[in-house]
Amino acid sequence: MEIYHYLLYYFENSPTIIQIVWIASCVLFISILILIVYLKYLRSGLRKNEKTVIEYQKEYESDLITYLYAGNEEAEISAEQQAIIDKLKSCASDEFKRRIIVSTLLRLRNEISGEMADAIQKLYFQSGLISYALKRLKNDKWYVVAKGIRELTQLHVKEVHDKIVTLVNHPKKEIRKEVLLYLVTLFHFDGLKFLDLLQTQLSEWDQIQLLEVLQRFDEQEIPDINQWLKSTNESVVAFSLKLAKIYNQFEVKDALIALLSHPQKNIRIDAIHVLNHLQVYEAKPILKNNFDNLSQEEQIKFFKLLENLSEISDEHFLLAHTTHQNFEIKLLALKILKTLVVEKFKSMKDFSTDADYVKIYEYLAYN
Amino acid sequence: MSDAKKIVLAEDNSTLSLLLKFRLEKEGYKLHIAADGKEAIEMIEQHNPELILTDIMMPFISGLEVISHVRNKLNKQTPIIVFSAAGQEEMVLKAFNLGANDFMGKPFSPNELVIRVKRLLR
Repeated sequence: MEIYHYLLYYFENSPTIIQIVWIASCVLFISILILIVYLKYLRSGLRKNEKTVIEYQKEYESDLITYLYAGNEEAEISAEQQAIIDKLKSCASDEFKRRIIVSTLLRLRNEISGEMADAIQKLYFQSGLISYALKRLKNDKWYVVAKGIRELTQLHVKEVHDKIVTLVNHPKKEIRKEVLLYLVTLFHFDGLKFLDLLQTQLSEWDQIQLLEVLQRFDEQEIPDINQWLKSTNESVVAFSLKLAKIYNQFEVKDALIALLSHPQKNIRIDAIHVLNHLQVYEAKPILKNNFDNLSQEEQIKFFKLLENLSEISDEHFLLAHTTHQNFEIKLLALKILKTLVVEKFKSMKDFSTDADYVKIYEYLAYN
Repeated sequence: MSDAKKIVLAEDNSTLSLLLKFRLEKEGYKLHIAADGKEAIEMIEQHNPELILTDIMMPFISGLEVISHVRNKLNKQTPIIVFSAAGQEEMVLKAFNLGANDFMGKPFSPNELVIRVKRLLR
């Protein structure tokens, strides 16, 4: 009691600043205590939750394996399988349990192929889990829709194609990305038909992801990409140019040549690059005749094309550009000339007194 | 059952382990399941199996280290089949260099695995 009175006396007679510091310290101390208790509660809650998840996971794993091996040849669904379907159906109405069931199915679906993989998909339908995924497609929250599409992709549910394809121009890019992955993962090259409908831009990252998925498949026969090369959507044209290059689409050379007069510079540059890759000689006179109207990047790309496709008839054109103001063009012109007509190249030592020309010539002469 | 050939399966996906255990036990093999490479090594030393099935990517000790341990530390020629996911081609080559006998790319068919197991244990 005496200590209490002493502390009270000490506090009351302390300067205001000391009193404030004491009060602040007490408030902080109490806050820390409350936070520690809350964290403890939170952690034990998470641990409990984790334990429950593991328990359910084990239970559903065992149900899934039993289902997969309980089939018999007499009936399409055995009594044991039906009991599991009924059990999963009733569990699926609880969102927490449904999440665990779906993750269990996915964990196995991603690792196995063949009849068992088909059986997992069948169970996904029979247990009514598909209807929950379809409900998610109508949700107002974009991430719920995106997750729904991803689930359908991972479980290879082709039957909902018509519903998914309607989301191809969704304002949210995350949803669009999931739609594209769904279409290409499940329908391979046929899935690319979404390019006919696409009004939004395909980002560079989307294009890389799509190409990465397509490269996983054994079949390399791609549909006609002519109409996509003529698309009004520039990103579709850019993506089709990548397809033309990767899958050596020589048959679209006319559409590629037409792209040399596309209003977008990047498309024109990519088109020259693909024409070079496919070794389309017909593009050469068109680019040569229009050379002065090309941008510098296009001119450089054209010279790179000449590096591959030059013929003796190009000698005059190359000669005329050995003194071009651009260093790279000068270098490429001399380099191609050296490969094409080495005697002519040797006689050109004193062709120009330009410092860059002299440097390039000497470099090429000794390399 | 005591004459059953023993197989150690090292796989961190418990659902897949359970499925393969069920399938291979149906074929008359005795399965020992390890959830990671560390557990796999302990089981191999303890049970001296006739065959080892191992995933490449596992917690603590990878499948490659398991193969290396069996071939170089234990000096055993037990047949080893490795499971690999897409994009792990380099790992598969390393596994073969370390002494793996066969590999299966995920996703794989459990029936095909059974055929390969039978072939190696013939």
